[in-house]
Order: sequence, then C-alpha cells, then structure tokens
Amino acid sequence: MSLTDAHRDFDKSKPAAETRPQGITIMATDITKQYGAVQALKGVSVDFHAGEVHGLVGENGAGKSTFLGILAGRVAPTSGSVTAFGKTILGGSPRESRAVGIVAIYQELTMIPARTACENVFLGQCPSSLGLVDYRGMRKRFLELCEKFDVRIAPDARTDGLPIADQQLLEIMRAYQSSAKAVLFDEPTASLGENERRKLLELINQMKAQGTTMAFVSHHLDEVLEVCERITVFRDGAVVASRPRSEWNKRQLVHEMLGNELDSTLQQRPAKPSRTPRELLKVRDLAVPGLLYPVSLTVRAGEVLGVAGLVGSGRTSLMRALAGLEPATGWVEIDGREQGAPRTPRASRAMGIALIPEDRKGQGLVLGRPSASNVILGDMPAVARLGIFQDRNILAAAKAAVAEYGFDPARLRTPARDLSGGNQQKLMLGRWHHARPRLLLADEPTRGIDIGAKTEILAALRKSALEDGLAVVIVSSELEELLVVSDRIIVMRDGHMVDERDCHNDQIDVKTLLHSAFAVQTGEHGAEQMQKES
Amino acid sequence: MKSPGSANGLQSAIAGAPAAKRRMPFDVSDLGMIAALIGVVIVAQIIYPAFLTWTNIRIILSQNAPLGIVAVGMTFVMIGGGFDLSVGAIYAFAATMFAKIAMQNGLVEAGACALVLGTVCGVINGAVVAYMRINPFIATLGSASIFSGLAFVYSNSTPQTPDNPNFMILGQGVWGPLPISVWLLIVTVLIGGFVLAKTVYGQSLYAIGGNETAARLSGLRVGLIRGSTFALVGMLAALAGMIEASRLAVGQADIGGTIPLDAIAVVIIGGTSLLGGEGAVWRSVVGLLILGSITNLFYSLAVDPNIQLVAKGAIVIGAVGLDVWSRARRR
Repeated sequence: MSLTDAHRDFDKSKPAAETRPQGITIMATDITKQYGAVQALKGVSVDFHAGEVHGLVGENGAGKSTFLGILAGRVAPTSGSVTAFGKTILGGSPRESRAVGIVAIYQELTMIPARTACENVFLGQCPSSLGLVDYRGMRKRFLELCEKFDVRIAPDARTDGLPIADQQLLEIMRAYQSSAKAVLFDEPTASLGENERRKLLELINQMKAQGTTMAFVSHHLDEVLEVCERITVFRDGAVVASRPRSEWNKRQLVHEMLGNELDSTLQQRPAKPSRTPRELLKVRDLAVPGLLYPVSLTVRAGEVLGVAGLVGSGRTSLMRALAGLEPATGWVEIDGREQGAPRTPRASRAMGIALIPEDRKGQGLVLGRPSASNVILGDMPAVARLGIFQDRNILAAAKAAVAEYGFDPARLRTPARDLSGGNQQKLMLGRWHHARPRLLLADEPTRGIDIGAKTEILAALRKSALEDGLAVVIVSSELEELLVVSDRIIVMRDGHMVDERDCHNDQIDVKTLLHSAFAVQTGEHGAEQMQKES
Repeated sequence: MKSPGSANGLQSAIAGAPAAKRRMPFDVSDLGMIAALIGVVIVAQIIYPAFLTWTNIRIILSQNAPLGIVAVGMTFVMIGGGFDLSVGAIYAFAATMFAKIAMQNGLVEAGACALVLGTVCGVINGAVVAYMRINPFIATLGSASIFSGLAFVYSNSTPQTPDNPNFMILGQGVWGPLPISVWLLIVTVLIGGFVLAKTVYGQSLYAIGGNETAARLSGLRVGLIRGSTFALVGMLAALAGMIEASRLAVGQADIGGTIPLDAIAVVIIGGTSLLGGEGAVWRSVVGLLILGSITNLFYSLAVDPNIQLVAKGAIVIGAVGLDVWSRARRR
C-alpha cells in the first residue's frame, strides 16, 4: 500500500519502519486568525502525534474548522507557525500542505460529479505508463480498495449518481490510496448511516496502525471518545483543554465546550398532549417508483412524527415526495382536503407543506443574500404592498420570525453565508415560521450543528408543532434525538415503512429502533447488515 | 474582507445595541468600480481637455443610450442566472420593422409593432431556456441566428428609409437639456433599478439566481420569473433598436452586431456576477459610463476602430479577472 510506502519515506532514518512511530509529526504554534473584526483563533497551539487520532471538539464557531483549514492550507493564518513532518508550512496553499503529506476530508465533498467512482479515487494521481492512463491497473486497485474497506461501489458508476454516503467513502479511499501521512477529517460521519459509520471508524483504526497522523473533528462525541487517543476542546477561538482520551468522558467534554453555560443536553421526552387533536395530515399510498413503496400515515396537529431508517432506506424519498421533489403517486390530505401527491415544490407549498432540506447551504439558503431576505423568501407577498417592499418591513417581518429562536436581530443584514450552521438553521426555521405552513418537514435538522444550538433547534421544532398547531415530520440519523423530540416514530427500510411506535405508550429505545431499521426476515440486504453489525 | 459597515453591525451586536444602525450604502468592493470610473474620467480629462464639457458628456450619453437600455435588461437576465446573446438580432429586427412599417403607417403603430416583436422574441427565448431547459448560451446563440435571418428576409436585405421627418425624433430629438434617447435611458434605469431592488419580482430574481433549488422549495415560479427576464430584455432591445434606426434615419438588418457583447461587458464591468444572484442596475450604469468614456476617448484621439476592439476585449477580461480576484480575497 502506498500509505506504508509514504510512511517509510518519512521514517527513512529508522530502518525498522514496521514499529509504530511515536512523536510529534505536526506542530501548530500560537496560531491566530483574524476575519475583519472577528478573531476566529486566538493563539492556538496543538501537537499531533504519529499513529494517533487527535479529536478536536467545540461548538460551531469555536474555531476548530478554521484551525483545520489552516493545517490543510485552505486558510492562511494571521500569525503563528505550523511545522509538519520537519517542514514549515507557510499556510494558505492547499498544494503546499498536500506536498508535505496532509490530506483533508471535508464535510463538503470534493468529488467531480461527471467522472466515475474509480477516476475520482485516483484523481490527480492515476496510475499511468508513458503518460497514458493505466485504466486496468486503476480498476484493479480500486477493487482491492473496495474489498479492503468492505464496500461495494461499481468502479464505472458516475459519481453524481451515487448516494452521498458512498461519495464520502470514495473521498476517504482517495485519501487512503494517496501518500497521505496525515489525514484531517472534518465531520466525516455527518452524512453516513450507522453501517458506513462503523466502516469508517474501522478504517481509521487501520490507518492508525500504519502510523498515520489524524485529526478528527466531529459533533458526535461518542464517536470522538471511541476513536481518538487525544482530545482537544476549542471554545471561542482558543484551546480550553487538551488531554489524553483516558482523562475524558462525555460529560466533561460537554462541560468544557459550553464553559460556564448550563450543560444543556437534551431534556426529557415531551409530555403527552392531554387531549387528542384532529388528524391534520393523512398520507395514502404515497409512492415513488423504485425508491418508496406505498406508505400511508397520519400526523395530528401539534404532533411530531419522527422518521428513522438507514441512509437509502427511503426516509429522504418520503420527505422529497411530500415536498414535490419526486414524481410521486398517491394521495395527501391536509386539513380535510385530499389531493394527489404534489409533483412540484410549488404545488407542495400551495398545499401548505414546507421543507427544511438536509443540505441547508445547497438547497435551503441563498447564501449571498442578507439573512432577512432569506427569512421572508417563504412568503414575500406578505411583506410587500402591491408587490413593492420597504426595507424596514422586510427587517421587521424577519425579526418577528426569528425572534423566538434566539437569532440576534443585529445579524439580519449579514449574508447567510457568514453565519454558523446553527444560525443558518434558525433562518430556515424563521422562514417557515413567517410563511406559516400546515405541515413542516425537517430532513436531518441538526446535521453539522453544535450541541447548544442542536437543543434549541429541536425545541423550536417541538414548539412550532405545539404552539402553531403544525404537523411536524423529522428525519434524523441521531436516534436519541429522535426519541426525545418525537411523539411517534416510524421506521423505514428498503423503501418500505416497516415499523411504527408511539413514544408515549410503547416501550421504545435506540435499540428497538435500530433493530427495526436493520432487521430481519424480509430483504436480504437488511439481514446482511444485521450480521455485520453483530 | 469585511466592509466597515458589517464590522459596525457586529460591534453593535456584541454591545447588544438595537439594529437601528444603518449600514454604509456601499460595500468596499462596490467602491472599486466607482473608483475605476473616477480614474478613467481623470485620465480622459488630462489626455483630452474637452472631455468634461457639457457637449461631450451629451455625446457620450446619447451615443450609449441604446446600449445602456439593453444593458438594464441584461442586468435582469444575468442576476437571474441567465445570459442573452440574441439581443443584437432582436435590436436589428426591431429597427427594421420599425422603419418598414413607418414607411406606410403611422409611427405609433410602427413603434408598437417593434416593441411587441421584441417582447415576443424574448418570450420565445425565455420559454426555450426555462421550459425546454436548454442552456441560455446555446438557446440564444441559436435564436440570434433565427431572428437575424428573419430580419433580412423581412426587409429583403434592403435598408428601409421612411421619409416621414418625425421618424428621426426618437433618436435625434431633444427634450429640455437632454436628447430624448437619454431621457428614455434614464427612465429605464430608474424603473429597472426600482423593480430590482424594491419589488417581490426583483427579490425573487435574486433568490433564483443565487440558489435555484432554495427558490423552488420556497414556492417561487422559477421558470416563469427567469423566463420573463428574457422577455424584458427582448422588449428593451427592441426599444434600443428603434432609437438606433431613428438616429440613423434608416432601418437595416445588419446593425447591432456588437450589442450583445457590449451589453454583457457593461453589466460585468459594473460588477454584476456572471454566476447570477448578485448585481444591481446602478452597477451597470457605472459599467456603461466606464466603457462609454473609454470609447469616447478613443474616438477623440482618433484611435483605429480595430485597435479599439482589441482594447475593449482586454478591458472586459480585465474586469472579470478583477472581480474573480477580489472575490477570492474576500473569502
């Protein structure tokens, strides 16, 4: 494997390269980064060791992503120095970082959509002879990698046709097969299902054994505790604590991340509503060819329905079908009016359905526009008179819509691009609070959002169900979260709805949900995954 | 780079002050193009002392009025994420039709027909782009050829010269201190700027150009709104063609060859993004004044028109390069 070759290169002084190398490989000293008036990093020093995974945790905006960006050469530091594998990195040049052997894997994928899976893995370093690409060799190595990682991706599949989880795995395979001496992971598991997540963690353990230096940024603290040897906590652009794994537990991590703020981990399960409200949404035989088999369900006004399932189980298809993004068939009844399944987002909106998409930046927000414009986007005529706006009306409407989510009204003029993930999600919540739909769909609403904001977002979703009398449907990979926020949970598997549980009456926990999601008799696929799990 | 305005906003946010503080009307990056315009004017004044005389300013404005009117429409198209290469053909077609109908009928009928023609051409472009989902570059490259061919067929490839002396009013007449064509440009700019900045339609257009999926999911009529920008630029191109025909006292099918690229250049020099979602009408006015001043300077120095073409191309590439560079720096 090229990885071991690279490692030998690095360790030329020692002939016995098989021994696990020790010692500091990357040393960041007193790094600062200034963005205009904002100091994103205030003198951060972190050391990375060979063969170790170093976890970086902190709330969004704590500076960990900026720090990772500096190591990767994506961001130039204002001051401070980085020494990696004996060379000083000047910063601000991804090529330079790459040359010393640092590879970063971002939340946002860097796949070329129109090329094949195989070509993407060997991007920029395809095996060749005499300047001609060695396609056969490339395929062979690709299949070896697939086998090693226990994934099944067709080498000739166009990348844009693959699920995000597969693309993420390709990204990791790319880093693995290149001569990476250090790999920086930024939220690598955010888009992965449980199964892929396990594979990734195994993979990281393999790379660890080969002496690769790794940095691991994640909001998923259990994961960080599981995979990392050393964990550093960022808060407000500074390192507040850095200790070996053995000296940490989850509570301490959260405590350090939040500082003096209250440890606001998720509260208790919602109280059961005293009276039984009317059924607001009835879905009958909703189906999408090849993705979703006829699903029927009801949601009451003020109720939160959780949707659990693995990536590719049809949970996102269900949401997209309701939002008018799929050529769906079937019937949707809202407030007693039954109509055919919406075929366009506009039809869906007209029925009173609103979607908070999983990909906030790509599908939710107009990043270059001010926050206020993003909020009123859901219903602009409501703010205008005769189609004409007044700036102060826009601001007032936006302010009213986001006020209860704790969004700072002073930032309503800021472009959505410059906000943290949590604040961006608050804009999406505000948009639909302003537009007042009947049914609110939220696909992975807390993905990539820090713990403090996560609780706020979930509480806001519950509140909109209860106070505005909406029906709310939430898809989430974080089952604990789903259990806390939902009144009822349905489980999707292979495009079918396979289970439905009442959170108030039924005995239900993460295990039962996982069991439904992975199980059992029907479908070999599920059974296979089950076995791998156990 | 953050503007001082947003830094203020941030400080007031930290201090917990209310959002009453007004942001500076311009971003620092906006000032760049205005600075460039001032620079061009100063250089021009030094080289050519008659540059800033009222007569010369009027010449610059009236020579560029048709182009400016097209550029206002092009601003809408480009903010919506589109592109229109057929405006030159529509311009010529409308000029021909205006002149030919004016030979037998009244000027009002002739003008109305030409405007309707331009709008219809634009609606066709819009439908092809929005509903057949053909890339705007290809769609309007093709339709430019169609419209241009039709203009030659319609006019039998001969210049149309109406003898009605009132035909020349639109392009040569003067009302108050300014030529009528310049008044038309001013009205177009004011209405266009208002619609873009202050109306639901304008804000929808920014959203569609900035993130089409987000706009679609918010329930906007993406196809209709984007398509309508092509109708708008078609109508404005027809108006510009009429002005030109009137100025030359003849309607010909072979005019307007440089209009599409010049209009796009004006919009881009002003700083409207090629990618859509950003820009403004006032920016295109700045772009128009920069390009118009440079062209005027070249003419006054009797620079070879072929050399002018070379310089203009270089300026457009330079302006886009500057835009890309400043965007990268802001990151």
